[in-house]
Amino acid sequence: MTHVVTESCIRCKYTDCVDVCPVDCFREGPNFLTIDPDECIDCAVCIPECPVSAIYAEEDLPKDQLHMTKLNADLAVLPGWKSITKRKEPLPDADDWKDRTGKLSELIR
Amino acid sequence: MDPQLAPAVMDTAAEHDGPIETDAVIVGAGPVGLFQVFELGLLEIKAHVIDALPYPGGQPVELYPDKPIYDIPAIPVCTGQELTDSLLKQIAPFGATFHLGQEVTTVAQQDDGRFFVATSKGTRFLTKTLFIAAGVGAFQPRLLKVDGLERFDGTQVFYRVKNPADFAGKNLVIVGGGDSAIDWALNFAAEGPNKAESVILIHRRDGFKAAPANVAKMRERCEQLEMQLIVGQITGHEEKDGRLSGVKVTGSDAVTRLVPLNVLLVFFGLSPKLGPIADWGLEIERKQLVVDTEKFSTSVPGIFAVGDINTYPGKKKLILCGFHECALAAFGAMPIIFPDKKVFLQYTTTSPKLHKVLGVESPVFD
Repeated sequence: MTHVVTESCIRCKYTDCVDVCPVDCFREGPNFLTIDPDECIDCAVCIPECPVSAIYAEEDLPKDQLHMTKLNADLAVLPGWKSITKRKEPLPDADDWKDRTGKLSELIR
Repeated sequence: MDPQLAPAVMDTAAEHDGPIETDAVIVGAGPVGLFQVFELGLLEIKAHVIDALPYPGGQPVELYPDKPIYDIPAIPVCTGQELTDSLLKQIAPFGATFHLGQEVTTVAQQDDGRFFVATSKGTRFLTKTLFIAAGVGAFQPRLLKVDGLERFDGTQVFYRVKNPADFAGKNLVIVGGGDSAIDWALNFAAEGPNKAESVILIHRRDGFKAAPANVAKMRERCEQLEMQLIVGQITGHEEKDGRLSGVKVTGSDAVTRLVPLNVLLVFFGLSPKLGPIADWGLEIERKQLVVDTEKFSTSVPGIFAVGDINTYPGKKKLILCGFHECALAAFGAMPIIFPDKKVFLQYTTTSPKLHKVLGVESPVFD
């Protein structure tokens, strides 16, 4: 089991979650954060940090986000996706995108 | 440092010593495992404690030793290290035996009902009861994920330094940005019996988690050309005659450079893994062991699970809940360990028997 970042994070990347992760398991892409399932210890501390509630425990994922488990795992091992451990500014138009759904096509690998 | 004996010698020695026969084995030396020693101790059950880490304390010490904890009853604030130190003091009267730096690999029930327990270092036990207080699993080094590099694990790629002399005179590449990476880089770059031929430190960014004083010392050594720092990530490796000859390091300038080496030391910190617990035939739900809330017994009578590793309706992963679970699990183990003994609940304040167990004087009330 692991925790999973869902589509809500795409084009927002608020990064509040990374500060609290005790095992530094977040990886950063151009417009999305992912959780490395090999590192996540299911402590759940990141869930309430996310201002757009993008993070779920794997078995609590909404039905329309089940595909994100595999996507998180796949993205986590891409060479360009580096560990992120310190909070930084969200993407400039994050507030415009935070309430939108169906953002998967916006994801940049 | 571990004794430097050939594995065959260790195996033979282990064969000739029988397993340790005991009433209780605790897996995990985090706060809950330590308090399990206390609760068993009050019931006059002596315990052996096993942990994968070389020191007690578990998650609070490994993940956040200096961060404050505010929800331990009657302790308004303490750090993970302080909590561990207090618990060790509290359980001192019970003389538990610690087997650290080793992971439990095997748990198998014998015909007589006892459990055979073996560790990665070959320590073996025959125990009447087993208490799994393993939290989120055993802490193990995070691996450097580069295709094909794993073939050199233990010969040229190392995740820990057991014997520094093994690396003296070698061309070392050390990767990581925490205390271990910096400390070992300084150690091997310094004059002395373990001085390496050359030391190159690689870290993905030019900022370090390690103690600032040591980071400054490292930069000083680089300026004096006693070692070198490369900012970048290891993205590949080169081999020559079946040996690892170098690593490819991609810098922030997107240029990939080949760094030749004899030995690669990787210090990426530790990460917990559930490991073999999943194979012990216990009922598991969402990576946790299912227990009852009367005795905190797993699906196998005699094996108890306490703390973050267990799950039951309403489970909350809190240290204080783990402490409660320890008390009930200890009482739950009594019929297995001492089937003929009548068990009374006694208070440490008033029970002369408990005072004896604790090694304190019984107060005289006028």
